[in-house]
Amino acid sequence: MAQMVTGQLGAEGPYWDALAEGRLLLPRCKGCGQWHWPAVWRCGECGSWEHEWHERTLEGTIFTWTRTHHRFGGTEGLDLPYTTVLVTLNDAPIRLQGLMEGREDDLKIGARVTGRIDKTRFGDAAILSLRWSLA
Amino acid sequence: MTLNLSGKTAIAGVGYRQYKRGTAPWPERGVLVRAIVDACEDAGIDPADVDGFVSYGDDKNEPVRLMPDLGTKQLNWSAQVWGGGGGGIAGTFGIAASAILTGQAKAVVIFRALAEGNSGRLAAAVMAHHLNDHMVGVGLVAPAQVCAMRAQRLFEYHGVPQSVCEEMVRASYYHGSRNPEAISYGKELDVEAFRTSRWIAEPFRLFDCSRENDGAGALLMVSSEMARDLKRPPVKLLSVAQGAQKGWGDLLENDDADLYPTAGFRGIRDRLYGMAGLTPADIDVIQLYENFSAQGVASLIDHGFCTYENVAEVLKYENLIAPSGKLPINTSGGNLAHGFVHGFVTAVESIRCLRGESHNPVPDAKTCLLAGGPGAPTVSSAIFGID
Repeated sequence: MAQMVTGQLGAEGPYWDALAEGRLLLPRCKGCGQWHWPAVWRCGECGSWEHEWHERTLEGTIFTWTRTHHRFGGTEGLDLPYTTVLVTLNDAPIRLQGLMEGREDDLKIGARVTGRIDKTRFGDAAILSLRWSLA
Repeated sequence: MTLNLSGKTAIAGVGYRQYKRGTAPWPERGVLVRAIVDACEDAGIDPADVDGFVSYGDDKNEPVRLMPDLGTKQLNWSAQVWGGGGGGIAGTFGIAASAILTGQAKAVVIFRALAEGNSGRLAAAVMAHHLNDHMVGVGLVAPAQVCAMRAQRLFEYHGVPQSVCEEMVRASYYHGSRNPEAISYGKELDVEAFRTSRWIAEPFRLFDCSRENDGAGALLMVSSEMARDLKRPPVKLLSVAQGAQKGWGDLLENDDADLYPTAGFRGIRDRLYGMAGLTPADIDVIQLYENFSAQGVASLIDHGFCTYENVAEVLKYENLIAPSGKLPINTSGGNLAHGFVHGFVTAVESIRCLRGESHNPVPDAKTCLLAGGPGAPTVSSAIFGID
């Protein structure tokens, strides 16, 4: 089981629970259909407090990326350099962060990627996070 | 009734002390007290008469703790702009002016103090304000990395040539090399070293990133009426705006796609210029908060000085340096070349350049834009002017 390090940020509890089960769940307002990320308790568009969590596939395109070379404190669990990407999902208007794995030779904005769920070591904790590779 | 605060308050005193990171001769509060007294002596008022304090960026020096050193007779106002980064720097002037113009305080010090021995590394403190498992899990733990992702989008998708960053950094170093107070005094930018310095987080190399210094800055604000009777020529606050627009903020990188590569100022730009009744063409000199080179460029675009299309024509080294350039920026060297006490030097130089005290004077400058911390969830900017 992954450990929360910084505590739950907002209303995204079901996201972490689902990742721990190997699934990606994301929230959509039952009132107006708006997808929300970060997750919210109240939909700021229609005022609804009801949200449905939908399973989505880990497929998308690169929105942007950075390759980190400097050893910042707190990244000791990752080998340098490592590449962090922001991925626009194919089946929800939401961007999720992740780490690249595999080849990066034609990594660029717009490139198609597929993902999986893994954990990142952070001190004594292991944080659930996504891994993406070029499709 | 809407009160336009334009021109009704002024900065009457300046204090700024800067040291190499980790070498402040006193603990943080000791440096701050000296900077505040410097500002009061500059203005010619008794530090005991300062009755208000405003800061930003999670400053740890609660004003009430300054009272014994300053001899404060009465603390009437203390406030801080939200946000862990430099986004709140210019918003402090709006808070101070609001207090003064509503009679809640008479003499307000705007300050920021940092000493690594007390507050640790600034980058870590800023990030602690924002960190969550989403980011830590993907290795994002520093402001440089988040800004790098936005810079990558700015360059790769929106077509802004990365070479404009070099032009901007060179201009800052040109000014810094002529400023005896600057950390880069006597040293212009070594362009080859800039281009080949080690990677931090692509597309940023070492010299794309601001330094960190120990130090403290204090600016004393009073009503324009009161400022007339003090020692120094008043520099008036013409305009200030802070905030964020819908689709921008602390959104797990889910900002609106067109806002994502910006520095966040589109949402405050119209209020900023509108309050002063000015346009970008009326700005004589810019003090540009650049935490990272690309964010400085994005800020200049947001503030209306250039566009994605003409950025390379406008942001040319020759155009950015005083006294000859049309768009002089960071006349003291700015965060990159003067020094970085959470950006406060950009506020200090905003006043000094209009007083004619800059080491790189801009002839006949009447207006100065302080473009606050870029890329922060809450951003702010201010315009200063002299009669």
